Amino acid sequence: MSQGHDNPIHHPEVQMSSSRGYFTGFLISLGLMFLATFLVASGSMPPFGLLMVITICAAITVIAQIYFLLHLDISEHNIWNTVSLVLFIPLFIITIGLTWWMFSQLYLRTMPMMPGMGMH
Amino acid sequence: MLVPLAGGWNPLLGRLALDQIPYNNPILAPLFVVVALGALALIALITYYHKWGYLWKEWLTTVDHKKLGVMYIIIGLVMLFRGFVDGLMIRTQQVWANGPDSSGVFGAVHGYLTPFHFGQVYSAHGLIMILLAATPLLVGFMNIIVPIQVGARDMAYPYLNALGLWITAAGAALIMASLFIGDFSHNGWFGYAPLFEIQYSPGVGVDYWIWTLELLALGTSLGGINIIATIVKMRAPGMSWFKLPIFTWASLSANIIALTSFPALQLALALVASDRYLGSHFFTAGLGGNLMLYTNLFWIWGHPEVYFVILPAFGMMSEIFPVFSEKPLFGYITMVAASFAIAGVSWLVWLHHFFTMGAGPEVNSFFSIATMLVGIPTGVKVFNWAFTMYRGRLTFSAAMLWAIGALFLLLVGGLTGMMLAIPAINYMVHNSVFVVAHFHSMLLVIVYAVFGSVIFWFPKVFGFKLDEYWAKVMFWLFSAGTVGVFVPMYMLGFMGETRRLDYVFNTAWHPYLVAEEIGIFLYCLSVVAFFVLLYVSIRDRVKNQVGQDAWGTSRSLEWLTHSPVPFYNFAVIPHINERDEVAWRRQHGLVQKQPEKYLDIHMPNNTGMALYIGALTFVLAFALTWRIWWLCLGSLVAIIALMIVRSFQGDAGYIIPAAEVERMEKEALAREARIQTGAHPLPAGGRPVPGEAIAYERQDKL
Ligand code: HEM
Ligand SMILES: [Cu+2]
Repeated sequence: MSQGHDNPIHHPEVQMSSSRGYFTGFLISLGLMFLATFLVASGSMPPFGLLMVITICAAITVIAQIYFLLHLDISEHNIWNTVSLVLFIPLFIITIGLTWWMFSQLYLRTMPMMPGMGMH
Repeated sequence: MLVPLAGGWNPLLGRLALDQIPYNNPILAPLFVVVALGALALIALITYYHKWGYLWKEWLTTVDHKKLGVMYIIIGLVMLFRGFVDGLMIRTQQVWANGPDSSGVFGAVHGYLTPFHFGQVYSAHGLIMILLAATPLLVGFMNIIVPIQVGARDMAYPYLNALGLWITAAGAALIMASLFIGDFSHNGWFGYAPLFEIQYSPGVGVDYWIWTLELLALGTSLGGINIIATIVKMRAPGMSWFKLPIFTWASLSANIIALTSFPALQLALALVASDRYLGSHFFTAGLGGNLMLYTNLFWIWGHPEVYFVILPAFGMMSEIFPVFSEKPLFGYITMVAASFAIAGVSWLVWLHHFFTMGAGPEVNSFFSIATMLVGIPTGVKVFNWAFTMYRGRLTFSAAMLWAIGALFLLLVGGLTGMMLAIPAINYMVHNSVFVVAHFHSMLLVIVYAVFGSVIFWFPKVFGFKLDEYWAKVMFWLFSAGTVGVFVPMYMLGFMGETRRLDYVFNTAWHPYLVAEEIGIFLYCLSVVAFFVLLYVSIRDRVKNQVGQDAWGTSRSLEWLTHSPVPFYNFAVIPHINERDEVAWRRQHGLVQKQPEKYLDIHMPNNTGMALYIGALTFVLAFALTWRIWWLCLGSLVAIIALMIVRSFQGDAGYIIPAAEVERMEKEALAREARIQTGAHPLPAGGRPVPGEAIAYERQDKL
């Protein structure tokens, strides 16, 4: 240990980074964000379809950023990252799921039904 | 401009103008003079004693986790004092502005604070106490103790650690700046949608609030990453997970919550900022926004946050009880499991802060039951502490008194929390001072644990004990204050006093308000006792010197190294044999065993970079608050540039040669021998060690 830490450049997860990867990640996120903004602003879709499309855009952005900017994949040297990511998944389900549930209950009681929102 | 602004704006100074300086405010102007004179005196003193070089080299540019921790604690104590003064102002206003016949001064109809000013005081009080007093105090202790407890030389990322500290300091500076430049938010510490929207709060107060919180969230997240990495990666040889000291476990669980929940706050505030700066409508009722969405997002962070601050406090209590009971902690495994159970459940309960939103009986029942589930692991902890003390050899030292006080407060706060968790009760007392009394009981658990820890770990960091007599005087005054303020507050809550009143209409409540004022007066006395405690202890520091095992009965690894802890923590990293390593070594006569030979030590270099970036984040946040766009851009670019510079510099660290280590160790051992920790003489030979014990790794293998 007295020789100190290994050179960080040699770590495999650091080796994964390259300016090409960063730019790809950046461009994909930017493109999808513009697409989503454009779709919302142009109002050319019914609300429900719009919601679906921008959700998918968001999901692709998240994955692109995780891969290209954070350099996470499921290989051996990323095992701690994978473990923590898997452990966080329940939190996403809890926060988003419970929020959806409480607000749908709230809207049932407080909001007039909106046409086209598909709330049975 | 992106959104219409009330008042002027110019490209050079943004919204900043001379009339934003409250030079004619009868409270703030004199305060400013006092603060300015104090700062000048401090600068003069430092210059007179030629301490600038020392300050710069040893503190401002340090990456040593102990010094950073001490600075965190100093920030925490200073802000605790500021928050306390805010509390004093709130109490005084309420007892004064009681009933239609009460007098008014300084432009207020009743009392001495106008409603707008009063709103700022309670908002600042809440924000400061939770995020700038409790959090830095706890982060400071985790910073100091965790690396030593796991047998590391520093944090995993020493530079990041310094960065976290300076960003936190920038947050503290920003909220202090709001005292004298412009004003602070009057929306309460958590903010009410849509009151914080620019149409209803046109001033800069809410902007100060947003950016202070953003800075603190950033700083605390950075600290959290560091502590988690340190615990996971830097444990001493032999320290398997179930030999981890309990405070370290508590820190791990707490920081996992912090790291996962703070993004929710940052997001919520970013959306508020978007509403205020860009004119979006996330939290207004118009154009598809939703006010309750803000409350929802805030408490998704807010409830885990309160457990982020209580779990380290539980860890501190778990360290103090065994040492002064001379017994190992009862139920170590259940204690660890309880910490993680609390951390997990804390994610499922946030709606209990807005039961009255009216999401309906199913939703409210779910969150009510989830909230009550927290009581189970908390109860496990309480019983574990009780059983630790049961038939122990108790010493009622000052640290132990604070820990026991924390235990009682936990009962009061926990049980009132359980009451609040029942929606039927909650609808009656929500937004009353009953809630205020509940969470003050809980947050006082933290304050008690922190003061206990200050006394408990002070000798480790500074090499001498605090004065027991004055520490006890302070404890009793503080506890009397706690009873005086919060017992009447619970009663007023039941009588229906709502929270945050700048004018209390009901004169029948006057006796209770007077009782609370007497309580806060006792708190003032305890603050005086604290200063006396510091003075007396520093005066008698030679007499109160202690060696490595300051209490004679201590148990975990931090007590193995010298007091004060050398900057490299351990000359040779010890091998861990048992959960309570020091207790075990003491039992087997191994405490004094020194390594056979010393090796070179690799340490990180100091750097001013963290301080520069911290200062720039302050500038950035200040410029955002006042909408000085060129300054925002400039400071942002400078921050990015500095980060790039730093990443190219890297830090190779430096080597302390083995001979130098040996010399410093000899000195420390000589000091140790001079002091002779009196009360508990070390057993000469000790019991034989079963199997083969290793005190230090074999050094030819390293
Ligand atoms: C046994 C565990 C606990 C239970 C069952 C509990 C329950 C509750 C409930 C139901 C409320 C909402 C009251 C209302 O606004 O109507 C509340 C508020 C609060 N609790 Fe707790 N609590 C517990 C532990 C804690 C802890 C450990 C802390 C912090 C250290 C804490 C801090 C707070 C704060 C700060 C608020 C109010 C925030 C505000 O409205 O300004 N609680 N608690
Ligand atoms: Cu809560």
